Amino acid sequence: MIKIGIPRALLYYQYYPMWKTFFETLGAEVVVSPPTTQAILSAGSSRVVADTCLPVKVFCGHVLALMGECDYIFVPAVRSVKNKIFNCSKFLGLPDMTKAVIPKSPHILDTDIDINKGKRELYQAIYKLGRRFTWNPFKVRQASIAAWQADLKYKQLMSKHGLTPPPAIERISNTTEVESKTPSDNPPPTQATIAVIGHPYLLYDEHINHRLIHRLEKAHYKVLTPEMLTTEQLELATARLVGRAYWTYEEEVVGAGGHYLESGVDGVIGIATFGCGPDSLMMDMVHRQAARLRTAAFMSLTLEEHTAEAGVVTRLEAFLDMIYRRKRRQVKACV
Amino acid sequence: MRITFPHMGNIYVAMKAALNEVGVDFVVPPPTSQRTLSLGVKYSPETVCLPFKLTLGNMIEALELGADTIAMVGQYGPCRFGYYHKVQELILRKLGYEFQMIKESLGIMNMVKYITNGAPLSKTIAACRFGLAKLKALDELERIVHKIRAVEQQVGNATRIYRQAMSAIDHATDYQALDRAKQDCFEKLTGIPVVPSSHPVRIGIIGEFFVVVDSFANMDIEIELGKLRAQIYRPQSVWEWVRFNPFIIFLSLREKDKSHKAAMPYLSCHIGGDGWQSVGEKVLHARDWDGLVHLEPFGCLPETMARNIMPSTKEKLPVLDIILDEHTAKAGLLNRLEAFVDMIRRRKRDKICV
Repeated sequence: MIKIGIPRALLYYQYYPMWKTFFETLGAEVVVSPPTTQAILSAGSSRVVADTCLPVKVFCGHVLALMGECDYIFVPAVRSVKNKIFNCSKFLGLPDMTKAVIPKSPHILDTDIDINKGKRELYQAIYKLGRRFTWNPFKVRQASIAAWQADLKYKQLMSKHGLTPPPAIERISNTTEVESKTPSDNPPPTQATIAVIGHPYLLYDEHINHRLIHRLEKAHYKVLTPEMLTTEQLELATARLVGRAYWTYEEEVVGAGGHYLESGVDGVIGIATFGCGPDSLMMDMVHRQAARLRTAAFMSLTLEEHTAEAGVVTRLEAFLDMIYRRKRRQVKACV
Repeated sequence: MRITFPHMGNIYVAMKAALNEVGVDFVVPPPTSQRTLSLGVKYSPETVCLPFKLTLGNMIEALELGADTIAMVGQYGPCRFGYYHKVQELILRKLGYEFQMIKESLGIMNMVKYITNGAPLSKTIAACRFGLAKLKALDELERIVHKIRAVEQQVGNATRIYRQAMSAIDHATDYQALDRAKQDCFEKLTGIPVVPSSHPVRIGIIGEFFVVVDSFANMDIEIELGKLRAQIYRPQSVWEWVRFNPFIIFLSLREKDKSHKAAMPYLSCHIGGDGWQSVGEKVLHARDWDGLVHLEPFGCLPETMARNIMPSTKEKLPVLDIILDEHTAKAGLLNRLEAFVDMIRRRKRDKICV
């Protein structure tokens, strides 16, 4: 059986159930790299130039971790998923860059996903990808329909049940056992609601964000993430704030930020990485909106490989203290 | 309506000529200076790239001079450049300036109509042609200057003549004056005494478009390389950009297309900005150039990718990566250039000896 490696980085959090279903329907076995560790990050950053952004370094680390574990590594170039909206350069050149910086990597399965070129090209790209496993176009078609349905189910699961990608992926992969343990008996009262916005590969990679979401939940804060909103909500909020979206994943930053700032959460934390081009402007947009509205506290957290855990914790504590004090004052004013 | 536009290399010469011809009131921002940069840095998001900061500084300085309409290029493509105007507009509004921003979303014809205040199209086209003619003249002269700087007997002659020609071309009001200025400069340049039997090194300058063509952003890197006796090959220029960018070109006449083809084995698609071209130029000119200076603003997305990919090409060529931002010091740049040119010269000598 052909083994296909999928690095647990970048678009993994958005599309993993889709990719997994596609390859498994075609009769391949899917291997995922282990969660990010310091060793993976260091290995990845030793391969690329210093000012490449952190997620790409993590990605290279995961590709290195998959070496020897699989026959192919799946590195798609997702160029655009909507008409006239482009992705960041790092995503466009990802397969080529991986080939260049890791010359001894297993064979790279690359595919160009570009809606701008029209449906025909898209179907051809999918067929070309499927051709490696079967000659039969109907089987590829079947696999892609199954993949599409898996993706819809995954997205619904997240927006309906308010799940973040890692538990949603877990629930999809093993359907029976997780159901029972999720509802806890008497949840402790939440302190406040915090929205965390940013790209999924930053929010859910516990190593690079130093378990931020986990920490918030531990401190009894209700955490909201971009995935918990529906596509329409995100699109509307983006349109209100910047008009037409410019980047492919603009909604999860500007859309989610704009929505949560208006929806009465107590605080918004924006997570970006140092040197991220789109985020340098998109976070600024959200920041300006927060300053204009003055409804919720906003903190922008910039991550890189030198970010220390203690620093993140200190900033988080200060931010939460500030929200606590703000709420207390509001309560007093009401009394 | 007083229109203004940010600087980018010598594009202001063309804009000035065209707007003058149409009869629109306009303000040319003061030449980019340290103050421009400081203003830009002060009000920009911190990790944004250098062109954003410089163009923002230009806009502030032009607004101070009484401009009330800003024309800024914005396009759809995978580079931050197209997003600039959205954030810049917010920043300037926050600073309390009253102005109108001309956006690409209007559509190109509406944009032209708006800028020209409804002047007849024939007049607009004639004006644009005159602007382009000026750019073309400047570009041709610049290409000659790039070569002569490396071999002139007295360093600085060519630069001086070029600067004179630039102001003469800028002041020219009709085609005859333009031709005369160009001819005059051409004669002067060919008359410069050159060092006999010199072997200048050939260095290509590639990278992100804005910093390659803007002499403030790249700290006069061409002049400095000329002083180090290096001939410069620069495929990108404002003239090339203006000529080809807004229109679809059917024949692959562009230098760009050739380099894209050359880059195919290493980078198979457009990654935004000039990343594709940067990789391609290295592959394409590995034999006829001696070295490559790769310029990029700090944090540039496509060029960072190009920098990751470039070392893996089979065609070997020494590359000096220079990353520019507001903290880049000229002394550091000069040191690196000097070491690079020395290295190339030594390599070349060894090759000849063998």
